[in-house]
Order: sequence, then structure tokens, then C-alpha cells
Amino acid sequence: MLENYFPVLLFICVGLAVGVVPMVLGKLAAPNRPDDAKLSPYECGFEAFEDARMKFDVRYYLVAILFILFDLEIAFLFPWAVVLKEIGMFGFVSMMIFLAILVVGFVYEWMKGALEWE
Amino acid sequence: MNVESLVFYVFAALMIFAGLRVITARNPVHSAMFLVLAFCSASGIWMLLEAEFLSITLVLVYVGAVMVLFLFVVMMLDINLDQLREGFWRWFPFGAALALVMVGEMVYVLGNRKTAATEGLVRHAADYSNIKELGRLIYTDYVYPFEIAAVVLLVAMVAAIALTLRRRIGVKSQNPGKQVLVKKADRLRIVPVAAEKSGSDRAA
Amino acid sequence: MNLATNLYHAGAEVFLLTMVCVILIADLFVAGRGKMFTYMMVQLTLLGCSFITVATHTDGVAIVFSNMYVDDLMSDVLKLLAYLAVSMMLVYSRTYLLTRGLFSGEFMSLALFALLGMMVMISASHFLTLYLGLELLSLSLYAMVALQRDSAVATEAAMKYFILGALASGLLLYGMSMIYGATGSLEIYKISDAIEQGVYNKQLLVFGLVFVVSGLAFKLGAVPFHMWVPDVYHGAPTPMTLLIGSAPKLAAFAFVMRILVEALQPLAIQWSSMLAIMAILSIAIGNLSAIAQTNIKRMFAYSTIAHMGYLLLGVLSGTIEGYSSAMFYAVTYVLMTLGGFGMIMLMSREGFEADNLSDYKGLNQRSPWLAFMMLLLMFSMAGVPPTVGFYAKFSVLQAVVQTGHFALAIIAVLFSLVGAFFYLRVVKLMYFDTPESHEPIQYQADTSLLITFNGLGVLFLGILPGTLMSICAVSVQQSLLLH
Repeated sequence: MLENYFPVLLFICVGLAVGVVPMVLGKLAAPNRPDDAKLSPYECGFEAFEDARMKFDVRYYLVAILFILFDLEIAFLFPWAVVLKEIGMFGFVSMMIFLAILVVGFVYEWMKGALEWE
Repeated sequence: MNVESLVFYVFAALMIFAGLRVITARNPVHSAMFLVLAFCSASGIWMLLEAEFLSITLVLVYVGAVMVLFLFVVMMLDINLDQLREGFWRWFPFGAALALVMVGEMVYVLGNRKTAATEGLVRHAADYSNIKELGRLIYTDYVYPFEIAAVVLLVAMVAAIALTLRRRIGVKSQNPGKQVLVKKADRLRIVPVAAEKSGSDRAA
Repeated sequence: MNLATNLYHAGAEVFLLTMVCVILIADLFVAGRGKMFTYMMVQLTLLGCSFITVATHTDGVAIVFSNMYVDDLMSDVLKLLAYLAVSMMLVYSRTYLLTRGLFSGEFMSLALFALLGMMVMISASHFLTLYLGLELLSLSLYAMVALQRDSAVATEAAMKYFILGALASGLLLYGMSMIYGATGSLEIYKISDAIEQGVYNKQLLVFGLVFVVSGLAFKLGAVPFHMWVPDVYHGAPTPMTLLIGSAPKLAAFAFVMRILVEALQPLAIQWSSMLAIMAILSIAIGNLSAIAQTNIKRMFAYSTIAHMGYLLLGVLSGTIEGYSSAMFYAVTYVLMTLGGFGMIMLMSREGFEADNLSDYKGLNQRSPWLAFMMLLLMFSMAGVPPTVGFYAKFSVLQAVVQTGHFALAIIAVLFSLVGAFFYLRVVKLMYFDTPESHEPIQYQADTSLLITFNGLGVLFLGILPGTLMSICAVSVQQSLLLH
């Protein structure tokens, strides 16, 4: 089975090389003469006021976590779709129950207004 | 050493390195990125175990979605990690000793022993489909835990909403649906205005 | 695979899940602060669950859902008690939550989800379902602790609970994977068969066992994995503390029984010595630390640690008597905890939290009946006859002595004498001190009725423990006879 994934491995290797080699070359070949002015942080001529990191609204988190939950739900759909013919009615119904439970969650969050940005 | 074990050792080494960097990196965003690397290496190892579906799910769900959430949280927290890591090096020898003991135990217990679960395992042929194998089981034999998994997801939804959703007051957002649905009667009120002088004016 | 049979045995779970979904949605349409409609629906659901559990009870052990779900007398009894505990929790906490604006649909649906998790755990005969049930329970509890979002203490408690709980789950999962590696199965009965037939890698199995026991100890709150208990009990809003402290311990007992006794019985020599260390440490540290507390919630937390030690004593003796006395202990512990925290909520009112020991000073002058109920509960926790706590401790110690662990029994008795001090101190505060405040204690009729039922129940079960004890004995016996 693994031989099917050999191209993927090669792809990863080539991808890594494409990403890493220019950086290494740049490091090795480019002239590097740092001084104080070059190394100091620059923000429109001012000293940096604050950290680049900033507070995100908690709503982003809610959207992200709801996305993950439905992402996971979809992950369960793939094997189901592949073997639907073999597992027959029973498999079909079991997935429908699974979806129904999550639809309850979906209805809940919709009604709660969690999908609205305001 | 064949190619397979070479790939395994590369992935394993990468994972240990990434795992160490997750806890030692100064910048929390870097930590999160190293966690991505750790997930990717784990996915490679799972692939070597012929768990192709899980391996790809790991990349899709964890690298694609969970890490986005992690980055949000890391950014949202806006933490000063130096403060948080005070005392890290003080406890480091203790933790490292504990970890070494654990590793020693694991090597002793797991080192080169056959176990019931790994006996008689052979590589599958090229046409083997891990997804089919999983699919045949999850939705039939494992239907009970499968539905509980749905309930766990539902609880996560309810909990996330209960913990983070706040009604904001004084938001001036528009609701296009409501705007479109507006009827004439909702907005327009015809007020009968009495004429100042009735009857006689018109006649004049 | 016969679907109808499967669903018949899991009827209560299916009903509960359906009702939670209905309640979740229905609650969105119910306006108003009272949420009485949702509350009544939840109580009716619990009633319906108990009805279904009783109606679908079958003699013997049924294993359904491809060996993942077991329906035996033990699971039925524990489930019924879990319904009762959750229902009582809701009655006790209604007024408390209403005055704090926490009485929401989420609270009630999360409590029901937690109950569902407990039921899954109680009826699990597969490591996968055990774990999923545990996660369902824990996830709901983490969220419930954090529900009071504006309280820094509650959020901190939720954080600690969550991180340590996640760590414990990881340990448990790792141990389970090792056991799977050693025996080649995740099914509880197949694991015990595999071990009995000798087809296993013993070192690997013991290695896994260590992790499983550590994970279990975390969840039970046994020393040395107890650090989260006082902080979480103290920080969480009292109704959530009540929920964490009561019904999940029944599920945890079932968990211990399923994993250690049913699956890993042949390793009893290994795990009983681990449990012995944890039990003695829990009893010692729990009872000693409780003396130093001035906050009654923290005091109960340490007393829980000690009680879990006694419960483990029953399990480690490794006999049917031991297991049934441990089950009896779990049941009485839940009853006492419900009463104890119920009393805290009864005494609290808007803007005032009766969680300091000094708040109980002179309770006898303010309300003699409540003081008497609290006296019964404290006596029971301390193990003073004729309350049920005495009988529970007595039967556990008896089982320990029967298996020849005299040293364990003596240490346990000594420390329960130490423990009696801080329980009786509460009694002393209530009867011999002058009250600090003379505010009337306001409570609803149903709460006061329930605390009466609770206090007198502790007394009644102490005088006539026979029925409950024989139910425990029969159910334990039935679950173990299978193999």
C-alpha cells in the first residue's frame, strides 16, 4: 500500500528542498554586514510602540471552534461515502442519526445567534 | 536498513525535535508552528503504519483547523511568555529526570518485544484501502461509539457557545432580511389631518 | 446483530439523548427568567429515564452493540442512583442559580449530557465506550464549571480542572493502548480471557496498568493525584461542585469495576498494591488537610479525597464483599455529599455564599431542624453510628480485615478518628456557638423537603442498611459471575 504514497514522499522532499535551499543559499552567499541601525525595529521612523501581537475578539474563537466541529463531522463522511453500498441501510441510517445529532447543534447555534457577527 | 525504516526515523526525529521546540520556543507563535510540524511528522508515521485515512485526517483537521484555533488563542491571549516561563529552568532538571526515567522504562518494556497486537502483521498489497476497512466497521459494528462521538461534538458546540457568546448591546448592525421584509404598514402611518375650516372653505 | 434488542437494552440512553436534544431546542423558545418549563422537562426526563431503566431491566447480563454495551444489575442500580443524584442536584441548586442568573438552559442541558456520559461509562464493556463516556462527562463538567464567566475563581477552577483532566485522559488512553498492545483487544471480557489464557506480554500489561491506574486516580481524586480537587471544589459555583462531587463518583466506581476488576482481575496482585498505597495516602492526607480548612467547600473536598481512599480500600480487598462494600460506600458517599452541598446552597442567598465554617455558627438557634439535618450528615460523614456512614466504613473495613490487611485497616480507623474531629467541629459550631448573623434562612418548600429526605435517609439507611447492601452484593456478584 505504501508504494502508492512514494510520489507524495518525493513531493515532500522536493517541496522542502525548494523552500530550504534558497534560504540556505541566501544565508551563505549574500553579504551580511549588520549594524545597529539595520537591526533596530522600524515603524515609520518611530520606535516600536507595542508588541506586534494583539488581542483578538473572542468571536473569532467561536467561529473557529464551530468550524472545527463541522470539519470533524465531514471527516466522518468520507469513509461512509466510500463504503455506502456495502454497509447498506444500517450504515445509512447510522450516519443519518449522526448527522441529525449535529443538526440539532446547528439549529441550536443558529437560533442562539452564534453565527451572526452583529 | 530499508527505505521505510529510514523514513520512519526521519519522521520520528523530526517529531521529537518539533515537540521539544514546542515547549522551549520563546515565541508562542513559533511554538504553535512547531506543533504543526509535529503533527505533520506524526501524520507521516501514521502513514507508515498504513493508516492512510487517519494520517490525512490528522493533516486536514489538526493542521488545517485545530492549529488555526491555536493561533487564534495564542494571539488572543497576548501573553508575556517570559513571565509565564519563570522557573522553567529551575524545574527543568527534575522534569528531565522524570522524563528520562519514563523513557528508560518504555525502552525496557517495549524494546524489541512481540506483542499480541503486532503478531503476524504483514504489509498490505497496493490495492488495500484503509478507508474502506474503517468504513465497514465504524457505521456498523462501532455504531454505538460513533453516535456517542456525535454527542461529544454536540456538547462541544453547546459548551463553546455557552462560554463565549455574549450579547452585545448597542450594536448598530443592519439586518437585510428584516429590511427587505418591511411592509408599507410598518413604516408609513397615515394620519388623518382635520382641515382647519371644514365645508365652507371648499364651497368657496 | 439485532438492532431492536440493542436499542431495548440502551433504551434509557436513547430516551435521554432524544430528550436532551428536544430540551436544547425547546429552551430557545421559552422566554422568561424562571425557565421553569425547561426545569420541569428535565425533571420529567429523569423520571422517564428511571422508568425506562426499571422497565427494561432483564435478569442476567446482556452484552449488546458488538460487545460494547453491557446491561446488568449493577449498571441499572448505578444509573438509577445517578438519575436521583442529578435530579436532587437540580432541586437544591434551582434557587441558588436563579438568584445568580445562572439558571439557564445550557446549565440543564449540560447536566443531562454529563449524565449521559455517566450512563455510557456505567454500561461500557469496551475501552472505547469507557473512554468516550468519560470524555462526554468531563467535557460537560469543564464547561459547567466555567459557566460563571465573570467569576475569576470559577474560571481558574475550570482551567485547572480542564488541564489536569486532559492530562489524566491522556494517561488513561496511553495505558489503554498498552493493554491493547499486550492483549490484542479492547473488549473488557476478551481482555480478561486473553490474560487468563496467558497469551499476553506481562511487562507491557503491567506498564499499561500503571497508566490506567494513574488516570483513574486522577479522575477519582485519590492522592497523589488529588491536587485539583480542593481548588475545583472551592472555585466552582456550588451547584457545579455538587454535580462534580456526587453522581460522577458512581460512574467512576463503575469505571474501576469494569477496568480493574472485570478486565484485569488476573493482575489483582499488581493493582491492589497500587491501590493500597493510594488509599492510605488519600485517607491520611484527606483527613489531615481537612482539619486546617476554614472554607466548608474545601473541607468537603479534602473529605472527598479521604472518602475515595475508603472506597479504594473496598476495591483492593479483591473479594465480592469488598466490591459490594465499595459500591455501598460510593452510594452513601453520594447521598452525604448531596446533603452537604445542598445545605450550603440552602444557607446561601442572593449575594451571600455560606461557604465559610463560621457561617454555620449557632445554626441551631436560627433553624433547629436544618441544624439537626446537618448534624445527621456530619455524623454520617464522620462515620458515627447509627448513621449510614458508619455502616459503610464498617463494611469496607470488614472486607479489608477479612483479606488479612490488618495494617491497612488499623491505619484507616486511626485516620477516620482524626477525621471525626473536623466533622464534629461543624456540629459544635452549630450547637454551642452564637450565630454571627441573624438573617432568616430563606428556602423553598421543595428544597427543605429534600434536605429532610436526605438527612433522614442517611439515618434510615444506617439503621436498616440490609436492603441496599444486598442489592450491592447481588449486582456485583452478577457482573462478576459472567466469567
